[in-house]
Amino acid sequence: MSLVEDFSGYNPTWCPGCGNWGIGMALKTALANLNYSPSDILVSFGVGCSGNANDFLNAYGLHTLHGRSVSTIIGMKIANHKMPVIAVVGDGDCYGEGGNHLLHAVRGNHDVTVIVHNNSVYGLTTGQVAPTAQKGFKSKSTPFGIIEKPLNPLSLALTQGASFIGQSFAGNLPHMTEIIAKAIKHKGFSLVNVLQPCVTFNKIYTYPYFIQHSYKLDEKYDPKNYDQALVKTEEYVKEKFALGVIYQEERATYTDELSQLKNASLVEKDRFKDFSSIISEFI
Amino acid sequence: MKFTWKIGGEAGFGIMTTGLIFSKIVTRHGYYIHDFIEYPSLIRGGHNAYEVTISDQSIGAPKEKIDLLVCLNQETFSLHKKRLAENALVIYDSLDFSISEKNYQLVDIHFQKILDDFKGQQIMKNTIALGASLALIGADLQELHQILESQFGRKGKEVVEFNQKFASAGFDQVREKYASLIKTIFEKKTVQPALVITGNDAFSLGSVVADCRFYCAYPMTPSSGVLTDLAAWQNKVGLVVRHAEDEISVINTAIGASFTGVRSAVGTSGGGFALMVEAVSLAGITEIPVVIFVAQRPGPATGMPTWTEQADLLFSVFSGHGEFPKIVLAPGDVEEMLKLSAEAYNLADIYQTPVIVLSDMFLSESHQSLLKSNFDDFANSYQVKRGKLVNKPSTNPYLRYQVTADGISERLLPGTKNYFYQSNSYEHLEDGHSTEVASEVKKQVEKRAQKEITYLKNDFQLPKVYGDLEKAETIFVSWGGVKNIILENMGQNSALIHFTYVYPLDSEKIKPLLTKNKRYILVENNATGQLGKLLMMTTGIEIKEKLLKYDGRSISCEEIVRLIS
Repeated sequence: MSLVEDFSGYNPTWCPGCGNWGIGMALKTALANLNYSPSDILVSFGVGCSGNANDFLNAYGLHTLHGRSVSTIIGMKIANHKMPVIAVVGDGDCYGEGGNHLLHAVRGNHDVTVIVHNNSVYGLTTGQVAPTAQKGFKSKSTPFGIIEKPLNPLSLALTQGASFIGQSFAGNLPHMTEIIAKAIKHKGFSLVNVLQPCVTFNKIYTYPYFIQHSYKLDEKYDPKNYDQALVKTEEYVKEKFALGVIYQEERATYTDELSQLKNASLVEKDRFKDFSSIISEFI
Repeated sequence: MKFTWKIGGEAGFGIMTTGLIFSKIVTRHGYYIHDFIEYPSLIRGGHNAYEVTISDQSIGAPKEKIDLLVCLNQETFSLHKKRLAENALVIYDSLDFSISEKNYQLVDIHFQKILDDFKGQQIMKNTIALGASLALIGADLQELHQILESQFGRKGKEVVEFNQKFASAGFDQVREKYASLIKTIFEKKTVQPALVITGNDAFSLGSVVADCRFYCAYPMTPSSGVLTDLAAWQNKVGLVVRHAEDEISVINTAIGASFTGVRSAVGTSGGGFALMVEAVSLAGITEIPVVIFVAQRPGPATGMPTWTEQADLLFSVFSGHGEFPKIVLAPGDVEEMLKLSAEAYNLADIYQTPVIVLSDMFLSESHQSLLKSNFDDFANSYQVKRGKLVNKPSTNPYLRYQVTADGISERLLPGTKNYFYQSNSYEHLEDGHSTEVASEVKKQVEKRAQKEITYLKNDFQLPKVYGDLEKAETIFVSWGGVKNIILENMGQNSALIHFTYVYPLDSEKIKPLLTKNKRYILVENNATGQLGKLLMMTTGIEIKEKLLKYDGRSISCEEIVRLIS
């Protein structure tokens, strides 16, 4: 039986009241509830306030570069598909700098879980706008309001083939814990978009704002219904946030489709030595 | 004895395949080959040419004159006639165009008429040309028939025989009309089996021998041959190949796989490598091994995708922000490529740092013979050395970035029970946690730098010296794919210092080679003499005389000969 405390590294340096505290606790609780130990999991961290969890979470961790976490977890999973693989990333990190990687990772249905701390700002660089903020959002880099429309990560992931899309709110620990656990258990690409207040640099998307604009999906909601999920994900840009598992589909994962991984993981398999079988084409 | 055969025609009509078949047939007759291709970055249209030089001894470069030119169109003759040897054989079709020059031996084959008679397609001109060429050099037709059989066997006996008819037609026409021109120099010998491989193939083979289990790439000429090879072999070999969305993803995916314990490599050319360098730095500080294959082509930017250059040496040496050790290797021919690429995986694991293997288009896409016995001996004796990768740490608590005398720390295989750690792109403590404490930062910078010192002591190899430095009048200095062009043309009174372990360099060990009272000539396929700059940076010695070529073409034989005559 593992404990939440097993996963606790250094004390976090996040601002008091930051949504990251809740997400960090939810992830540790979910891992403990699933009965994993820190030796069992591979975690890649992006760069940003969320990525700083590298020092706060015990695991086989790789603190990567801004935007590149989603690429590294693909490599981790291919190398050892028997271990759960998680990315802890931010919205600027995963939807901005690493947007192209996300787009293609969901297509591949790699069996990984991407937890996005989405606060619509770049907290660590002192509050510039992130691609998820509403049009007109004022920040240090957009003093007259951002011209672009917000990126919709949910419908983007859904239409490109993500097989699990969950959304939660940093102010609701039990809900986050449940959704993150479901995402990790899901076989395939899981995106968990966590709505998170930045108490220091975002005075608009506050705890009251998210409470007011979000609602829980009820028991009658069927996450297997793609068309219905599409409607729910479209609500995102209308500042209406459905909380829960928005979409889930059973589909072969990337490593399921690699016949060379049938008998053993890549890291465990025996060395190939039958060189004569590949050189005949050159003679 | 050397003999050069060249075929040219319009792009998109099978010239490349034809050339490779010619190389293989000659190799099966017991001779050595070196070939190279010339093609524009187009799929159809433009001029394609394939040149094969045959020798009874091992060979790694073209020679000056062409002895047999196959012109599938008039353009081939006008483009290449200046390189024809005295009395060279020229295969052409007088019904297509005429040749007024009298100083060649013309072999008139009516390609179009044969096609019309047998209802063949344009592409079968190549088969006729192959038949005619083999007849002229005194080879037999059996090997060609066999190759056509393995190529078209799947489509049934009729298709095989249909294709063989065109080969025989070319062969028989020469035998009947041009019997007096037939050479007897290429009669079949007892054959020691040999592979006909490119530099790209050699990197692929080296990777398989070295137990590379993950290869990631985005297609980019001239490196894509590796992606093609390894992707085709993945089920048989049990490696995984990922064609990712861009080169940034390519290298970060490889770093993720390598972190998890799997030998991993990426391949690209200059532009793709430019996208990767952020992650080269990541591999540097996290101390994750990765092998990076860079097949150079002329830059800047898109440059000339299908031509050759050696202008990314300094870019490779200095790739990545910040200071961290990296190793750059530059093989000079296919055999060195096979061995050094396999060695690159060992060095990456031992020093837990990126290792770059530099090629260039001329090496990557030219074929050379490699005796099968050489390959077998190397492959069977190669030892996988994973350095300090462990399943159980020797100290408790385990410290991923422990400061050690050689600068190398134990790398624990992720997933090992009862342990965990992080590899950190932030500056870190010995245990991996982030730090900004000055004394701890200094420790880690010095620890990583120590790895370079250890490498220079344990694994750095001096440049190979060909010829006698004391007796030579002229000493050539070079690196990478220009090696054999110099070697085969420098004559008796010259020597060659050829660098393959190009970075880092041990100044004290190489200085004695560069300070003899001789005429030194630096030879590089670039405009600024990058190895020269690197040598000057390391040793303070400047090589003033330079042969630099930067028009997309490889250094030619005459350019070397001219320097010493």
